[in-house]
Amino acid sequence: MTDVLIVVALLLVAGAATAAVLNRDPMRQALVLSFLGLALALLFTFLQAPDVALSQLAVGSAVTPLMILLTVRKVRRRPGSGDGVDKPAGRER
Amino acid sequence: MTAVLEVLLWWAALTGLWLVLISTVDPLELLVGSASALAAALLARVGRRAVADR
Amino acid sequence: MSTSDGWLAAALVPLLALVPVLWRIAYGSPGDRLIGQNLTSLLAGLVLLLAAQGFHRTSYNDVALVVSVLGPTGTLIYARFLDVLPDSRLVRWTALVGVPATVLPLCVATGPGRAMAKLLLIGVLLIAGSVVTSGRGAREGVTA
Repeated sequence: MTDVLIVVALLLVAGAATAAVLNRDPMRQALVLSFLGLALALLFTFLQAPDVALSQLAVGSAVTPLMILLTVRKVRRRPGSGDGVDKPAGRER
Repeated sequence: MTAVLEVLLWWAALTGLWLVLISTVDPLELLVGSASALAAALLARVGRRAVADR
Repeated sequence: MSTSDGWLAAALVPLLALVPVLWRIAYGSPGDRLIGQNLTSLLAGLVLLLAAQGFHRTSYNDVALVVSVLGPTGTLIYARFLDVLPDSRLVRWTALVGVPATVLPLCVATGPGRAMAKLLLIGVLLIAGSVVTSGRGAREGVTA
């Protein structure tokens, strides 16, 4: 029975990761990424590693998507940029 | 007076929460829990007043 | 390590329910995706509770506790950024039906004590989080 749970969780992780790659809009990717974080946390729990699952939850489902959202907002708010995504990296504010 | 009462209320609620969530109850856990609950209770009162005064 | 297959089979139900949710998150409109994110954390909490009982490790409930706190918080953060917090009957009813249907049998299996109080606390947090992020009163939450 444990194996079935692990297989389903693995499939969810694979599906979520593929969906995160196929979505091109960063805002949407952030939501798929938080799903991926939760699926990974479930997988770690089924593999008897709840401590890893806890840190994965904090990092994967909350912090990383939040950082992406904040970054996207900051980039979009910059004046004088078309779509704002492909700016030169080393330029000052 | 109300300040002491409010902190006491927060402290009781937070200590109760701590006691429910820990796995084994022993004196050291109790000490650490009640101490951190007191700190959190003071913070909670400060936070509530900050929200209420807004 | 001994496991009880009954509880693990029960955990499979909300786990499989995550598959259509993933579809919705991957292809839906922004509102749909937010509902999906909300539903994901709710279902994941239920899976974790049932799996903890299935593995006979009550300490695994801590993961469910963290999910029940972080999930609604994350939903509110996204609502702030996406400027939508859709009224979702699906999330509300999943919480109001699914959480008691999961937590009450677990409480019966656990027996009275601090472990049961913890289970009830997690259940209340899951329901409260889902109701706050899916309900009618949620609109003030975005503008505030």
